[in-house]
Amino acid sequence: MLFDRIEPLLQTIQKPARYIGGEPGSIMKDKTQIKARFAFCFPDKYDVGMSHLGMKILYSIINRRPEYWCERVFAPDTDFEQAMRENHLPLYALESLEPIRDFDFIGFTLQYELCYTNILNMLDLAGVPLLQSERGESLAPIVCAGGSCACNAEPIADFFDLFFLGDGEELNLEVMDLYVKMKEQGATRSEFLRTAAQIEGVYVPSLYDVTYHEDGTIAAVTPKDNAPAKVRKRIVADMDAAEVPEEFVVPFSEIVHDRAVTEVLRGCIRGCRFCQAGFLYRPFREKSPEIICKQAKTLCERTGYEELSLCSLSTSDHSRIEEMMDGLLTFTEQAHINLSLPSLRVDNFSHALMNRIRRVRSSGLTFAPEAGTQRLRDVINKNVTEEELLRTCGIAFRGGQSSVKLYFMLGLPTETDDDIRGIVELAQKVVDSYYQMDEQLKGKGIQISISVATFVPKPFTPFQFHPQDTREQIAHKQKILEETVAGHKRIRASWHPPDTSILEAVLARGDRRLSAVILEAWKQGCLFDAWSEHFDFAKWQVAFDAVGLSPEWYANRERSYDEILPWDHIDYYIDKTFLIRENEKAKQAQTTPHCRQHCSACGVTKVTGKPCFPFEKEAAT
Amino acid sequence: MIPVRATFEKCRRAKYISHLDLMRCMQRAFRRAEVPIWYTEGFNPHAYLMFPLALSLGYESSCECMDFRLDGDMSMEESMERLNRVLPADLQILRVAEPIHKHTDIAFADYQICLDGDDAAALRAAWEAFYAQPEIPTEKKTKRGTTSVDLKQQIVLSCVQTVEQGLVLQLRTPAGTSVNVNPSLLVDAFRNHLTTQTPPLALGMVHAARTAILCADGTPFV
Repeated sequence: MLFDRIEPLLQTIQKPARYIGGEPGSIMKDKTQIKARFAFCFPDKYDVGMSHLGMKILYSIINRRPEYWCERVFAPDTDFEQAMRENHLPLYALESLEPIRDFDFIGFTLQYELCYTNILNMLDLAGVPLLQSERGESLAPIVCAGGSCACNAEPIADFFDLFFLGDGEELNLEVMDLYVKMKEQGATRSEFLRTAAQIEGVYVPSLYDVTYHEDGTIAAVTPKDNAPAKVRKRIVADMDAAEVPEEFVVPFSEIVHDRAVTEVLRGCIRGCRFCQAGFLYRPFREKSPEIICKQAKTLCERTGYEELSLCSLSTSDHSRIEEMMDGLLTFTEQAHINLSLPSLRVDNFSHALMNRIRRVRSSGLTFAPEAGTQRLRDVINKNVTEEELLRTCGIAFRGGQSSVKLYFMLGLPTETDDDIRGIVELAQKVVDSYYQMDEQLKGKGIQISISVATFVPKPFTPFQFHPQDTREQIAHKQKILEETVAGHKRIRASWHPPDTSILEAVLARGDRRLSAVILEAWKQGCLFDAWSEHFDFAKWQVAFDAVGLSPEWYANRERSYDEILPWDHIDYYIDKTFLIRENEKAKQAQTTPHCRQHCSACGVTKVTGKPCFPFEKEAAT
Repeated sequence: MIPVRATFEKCRRAKYISHLDLMRCMQRAFRRAEVPIWYTEGFNPHAYLMFPLALSLGYESSCECMDFRLDGDMSMEESMERLNRVLPADLQILRVAEPIHKHTDIAFADYQICLDGDDAAALRAAWEAFYAQPEIPTEKKTKRGTTSVDLKQQIVLSCVQTVEQGLVLQLRTPAGTSVNVNPSLLVDAFRNHLTTQTPPLALGMVHAARTAILCADGTPFV
């Protein structure tokens, strides 16, 4: 236990409570009774990582098994990292305060591409060789990762022993069980990896040889040692039966989302063509209102949180939302718990529901039309009309709201300068509708904030083939936005310099050769790239130049339909032919109905063998 | 409704919970423990919890006080048992009783400060020279800006001991709602003094603990 070595360092650094553990709900075990220890690493700061629901789920599931111990690890902030390095203090886990290099598994969650340099820094702080090929044949530690970015893990393939694809609830334990069995048999690392690769949902990148054409595109991905040619993700079929945490580690210091969180559904029926999550988490699976309320109530009681939020891609798409809300409101009101709903869609945000939410307390309204014109919203299949947006805002205004936040993207496929101007025009229509209201609230002016992000094409979306706008194109469009919004005093627009989005685009659709770039960027000092005060694209450019690769080739190149994409050997239940069909429809500005209206044969039912929605006979294709 | 003063300890890992975070931590503990605590009335009701004297971040103590009111059918002993089951091992309630003194009765606090150093004898010599000064002026930050304080006048040093790791100081400082002198000011002043020595001495880990909260007549605040 490193307590005595950690403590002196805590006297001089910011927010020391982040580095010492001991929070209520953190799980202590007797390590002599433990067969496998899992260091669950979040490659960002404590304040961010402690808000992540996936970590809480897996922490709870692994720790429910008496023979396993899962502990938490976060990226130290720069002041504490410096103190650690000066004092040769290795990266440790927050429960036992023991070095993670001695653990059986070092597992990272991949939520965002710009965390990749943090992973290398954490492995380095832990004293674990960064490259998989340099870890030798001893079994431990197995360096692994899961989470949404694992769908194209190629850019970080060189650093990992294995990846978990899809839902981790069952998969993580199966891999740990196999590990313990093979550890007792005295297996080597490569023997374990070869066997683990046979488990559905496990991707072992070192078992695949990748060759390239002269133009840099992939010639072939060849499996070896019986590894499957296509690695399929895992899903939890029945969400009601899925294990959920009954308690959270409740932090002392404030974190980004400091509240109880209950998942209500997984997957999304909408099929917005830009949205990676909307495809990655298919099929759509709901929890029943009874289970949701029971789990939420238990969680609030066990954590003592005074705030509860619901987690999903689109909560209002729950088929029994009224029942769910009724049940949740009944117990939260009694217990003085504030219920917040983050992701409500504009088009089915009814007056009745709105009123019930207001019975508790409501903060500002946020909506995401994503594009400024109907034509472009049809291209991206964001099936929200102007009338629906205005109607919803009208309900909100009459309910006493006077500020609305609208989210948009810039750089979408087929986008013209008029689409950018349309963003401001749409916001102005919201302003106008406010002043046209009869029962206008006196003395309180309306404020519309529009936030415009740069579009990043992602794998497993219909836009995976699409080039990202160049830096010059983005700058041009941001200038148009700035010029258009000037003079609209009720509208405030915000946007960011494009470099972060450009790097995100490179890493999201990159291939294995980028591992060398990421390693070099880390050596150049890149760290916390997701934090604007740390991000330095110039250092990344040095790294690209050193390796001889060009970020533009990855970000701004259109992929042909027959090109072998770096993630083509990964199966997220989504057919490439479906993505091609959707991309072609996008070019024609044709929309696709959502999954409850009509099955678009994305590929999911071919794997699950049954329609996603039972009332649809036509779905089973 | 029963007013309760709980005396709790804050040690090891719990030392690093800031005062603001401690308030939130305790409020959540009451909810987890299902202890019927009195809620303030008004537009935004919240659990009524009061800490009469804040403890600096990084300080240990086993004499911290927290006041609340039981508003239901539960004995204060049971509330303590329930709270201790849901509180971290390093943050436990030691006893509960009805409060006798008012918050404004707090006048002093006692501290034990251990200063680690490589050369205990040299540290002791430096301390004697430092403390022999007729005045130890220092800048103290308050809500209204910085004021100058003479620590020599404010702080009573009752004992200095040389031990293997360094020095152990026992101090009494003014504390409470009107005047507060944080013993860290003295440690910082000493640390500055050490840098002026030839050769300069370095201070290692500082172990600070509050050992008592006292009324004006020197009796414990209870």
